[in-house]
Amino acid sequence: MAEQVSWVPDNVDTRLPSAARLYDYLLGGGHNFAADRALAEKFLLAQPNARTIARLNRAFLRRAVLHLADAGVRQFLDLGSGIPTVGNVHEIAQKAAPESRVVYVDYEDVAVAHSRMILEHDDRSAVLQEDMTDPDAVLAGVSRTGLIDFSEPVGVLTVGVFHFVPPERDPAGVVAAYRDAVVPGSYLALSQFTADLQPDEMAGIVAVMRNSANPMYPRGHAEITALFEGFDLVEPGVVPLPLWHPEDGSVDEDADRAGIFAGVGRKK
Amino acid sequence: MNGQSPPVRTRRQEIARTWMRAVYPTAYVPMSPTEIELYLLDLVDVIADAIQAEPFSVDPVEVVGDRLVEAHFTGPETLRRTVDVLGRALLFIPELQDVPQLAEKVVAILGSVSTSFATSMRLDAFDQQEAVKRALLEANRRTERVLKASEAQFSEVFDTSAFGIAITNLRGECVRANGALAEMTGLDHAALAGLRLIELFDPADVEAMVATYRAVGEGRVERVREQRRLLRDDGEPVWVHLAVSLLRDEDGAPAYHVTMVEDISELHLLQKNLDFQLLHDSLTGLSNRQRFITRLESLHSASRHGITLYCLDLDAFSVVNNGLGHAVGDRLLTEVGRRLEALVADEQALVARIGGDEFAILIDNSPDTPTVPEMVERISAAVEQPMVGGVALSASIGVVDRPPSGSDAADVLRAAGATLQRAKAKGKRQWLPYDRHVDQAFRERQSRAARMPGAVAGGEVEVEYQPVLDLAGRQQLGHIARLRWDELGHDDCLDLAEATGVSLALGQWALHEAAGDAASSDSLGLLYFELSPMQSRDEDLVRTVKRTLDDTGLPASRLRIFLDTRAMLDGDGEDNAQVLRDNGIEVGLTRFNGGQAELSLLGELPVDSLVLDPSVVRRLAEQPEAFLHDAMSRMVSLIRSSGVSVVVPDLSTADREAWWAQVEVDAAFGDHLAPPRPAYDLL
Repeated sequence: MAEQVSWVPDNVDTRLPSAARLYDYLLGGGHNFAADRALAEKFLLAQPNARTIARLNRAFLRRAVLHLADAGVRQFLDLGSGIPTVGNVHEIAQKAAPESRVVYVDYEDVAVAHSRMILEHDDRSAVLQEDMTDPDAVLAGVSRTGLIDFSEPVGVLTVGVFHFVPPERDPAGVVAAYRDAVVPGSYLALSQFTADLQPDEMAGIVAVMRNSANPMYPRGHAEITALFEGFDLVEPGVVPLPLWHPEDGSVDEDADRAGIFAGVGRKK
Repeated sequence: MNGQSPPVRTRRQEIARTWMRAVYPTAYVPMSPTEIELYLLDLVDVIADAIQAEPFSVDPVEVVGDRLVEAHFTGPETLRRTVDVLGRALLFIPELQDVPQLAEKVVAILGSVSTSFATSMRLDAFDQQEAVKRALLEANRRTERVLKASEAQFSEVFDTSAFGIAITNLRGECVRANGALAEMTGLDHAALAGLRLIELFDPADVEAMVATYRAVGEGRVERVREQRRLLRDDGEPVWVHLAVSLLRDEDGAPAYHVTMVEDISELHLLQKNLDFQLLHDSLTGLSNRQRFITRLESLHSASRHGITLYCLDLDAFSVVNNGLGHAVGDRLLTEVGRRLEALVADEQALVARIGGDEFAILIDNSPDTPTVPEMVERISAAVEQPMVGGVALSASIGVVDRPPSGSDAADVLRAAGATLQRAKAKGKRQWLPYDRHVDQAFRERQSRAARMPGAVAGGEVEVEYQPVLDLAGRQQLGHIARLRWDELGHDDCLDLAEATGVSLALGQWALHEAAGDAASSDSLGLLYFELSPMQSRDEDLVRTVKRTLDDTGLPASRLRIFLDTRAMLDGDGEDNAQVLRDNGIEVGLTRFNGGQAELSLLGELPVDSLVLDPSVVRRLAEQPEAFLHDAMSRMVSLIRSSGVSVVVPDLSTADREAWWAQVEVDAAFGDHLAPPRPAYDLL
């Protein structure tokens, strides 16, 4: 053999599945590796409805962004944005209001690299490689992008990702730090897995994810509602995904099997 | 597109809405339901316009598959549901009813949509794989820690890729190639190493490829995607999609070319299309049919102690689904899947959901594997144990035990499926082992069914006329139209047509033929015409009949239409009887069994005659004269006393003729009285 070529950096381990690529696979995307797909199969065994949940979560993201855009929000901070897939925040927001600006934050190399490629030619969007549970680092990085004006309302999105924040990282403290950084009239849209809806399936998911790079921590309704401290919850409050502002003509979805609670709050 | 009348517009909107509701749950599409509906309405327009275009061509609908994939309607179930909805809707939409050979055109259109969908999906996947690999490169470049990256990690991506990948230095020499490329070219790794990659291409393509590599190497273009031919080791050309991009070193200087290659030769394409029906069932998480077949193939050829295949179907599952709702039905299916998996946890086994309520279990036998009857017992027990809400299910099971190792995997699965069908025909909770001779007959029928649409289009199916006689005086009352396809008679033709979905098209064609023949031959007398179940339910039946009479000039008084009794019982198309009658056409019922519900129909519908079900006639002929005959005799006289005349089909012997004559039925037809004759014989 002649020369050896190595172009996968040693901090990208394609044998270690990533939650971002698992989500991409569940949504029917092709941005994933064998290890991710193998994990997804186990995930599906534990929660056969996982594809639907992924779809419902993505659909909630869209409705939440449109709701915020309607309320006049023109800048978005998408925490734990993952692999860019169909219906990314900047696409939704800029379709509603072309001047909208979006900063994506994720810590996973491939997700970040991929986001960079997608956003190459969009000067109103950027991606930041930081850990969302380190708000100081994230907020400093966001300032450097110059895209977000903290004297104006910001839409903080953490959709389908907060269940990866372990208790020892102080979830309430993390949300509070972002809340304190934005002005009143800003919004928080949050969705996360819960064991309240399907305890058995949820326990199965937790077991499957325990030894992955992204262990999961489901939370109960009260605990999720408490994360919105300092925000007025937009009606109907914290509810299973499909029940949050369903659209006209939509197909009936089984809320009991939606696995994830979602809510949107406006900062007081 | 525009200028359609409001009803046409509304019907197309209804189709778009049904379509939206069917595919909405199959994939995430970033649009509101209303936006999706409008998006699909555009596609309905394309399809409906194409069906009506003269000359007919499927080319315009190719865009439909592309547009679906473009909008990300790419779920594992999306295509199947699309075909389902469109297949049904297009046959019934009034604006298309005048289109000649509608059924064939619909089949062709759906075929084209499916093909373009599969092609687009493939290109989309290729793009995505390209993107994620580029993201990997990109991630690498940024971290600037290239020096000691783990060879193992790199290999994982490189070696497991389904696409051929070659990394070449700037002299064009292959420094690394993966297994997929080796397989495509028929060369092994050793032969590829150091080889100038350009030598793998068809000589006709070499010059263009040199230019491509140069353009990418000089940074004039970032990446090139082309379609080219590779030459296999044995000289066979292989069509490939390829993508060439540049790899730079830490200082940003060009260092290597990366060439990704996808085999798109036909055989490969077919394989890939199958792979695309993703490998798992989204509801139960079990393997789906595709994956099952693949595993069946590999296990079947590698098994030491032979394999056993169980196909099972939940009895009357549609009742559960309709009664308790689909959400409950879905939960039950998931639970059944789980139980089946638990059941074979100790075996080398695979459980799959291979159809709506159909499951399959594949076991690679070991010396400890339970026997087939034991296994069947366990499966039944697992299924019958009560589920959520106290529902208890049962299953019918078809078993193929240790098929000969030479047999084809698809054949094995088909045999199991056919055995299951036979088990189901025996009733609930039945199981059967595979029987080769019975299977043969079943298989012939299936292959005939597949050819039916073509036979209709090709004029192989004919209409013949069988005299209908008054049994008392042997007077000829008229003729009943009968279908014939080679040696297949009327009832077989109808069954096949219903099974293959062409019965509506076939029925309309046959009615037109028969009316035409009757109009040009007075000696044919009264025309008796039996409708298929689907035709009887058709909401445009009356219009079709009236138009047929107008076209052919046959007076309404010479036509007698017989609606399918079962279809009337199901409640669809009840209006058809009344409206036909209002239009001066005499109406009757056919395939009449004499059940209580059927008898009550006689009071509800404006019918004045009926044709008994051939199976009733056959059963009477097979049994010694007893209670059944007595009951039939009373029933006939009861029906006749209410003013409805009774026609007996399929009279087979003189003996039978005598019996029915004594019962005083009004008329009969059958090969014993007079066989069906082709039209030219009558004219």
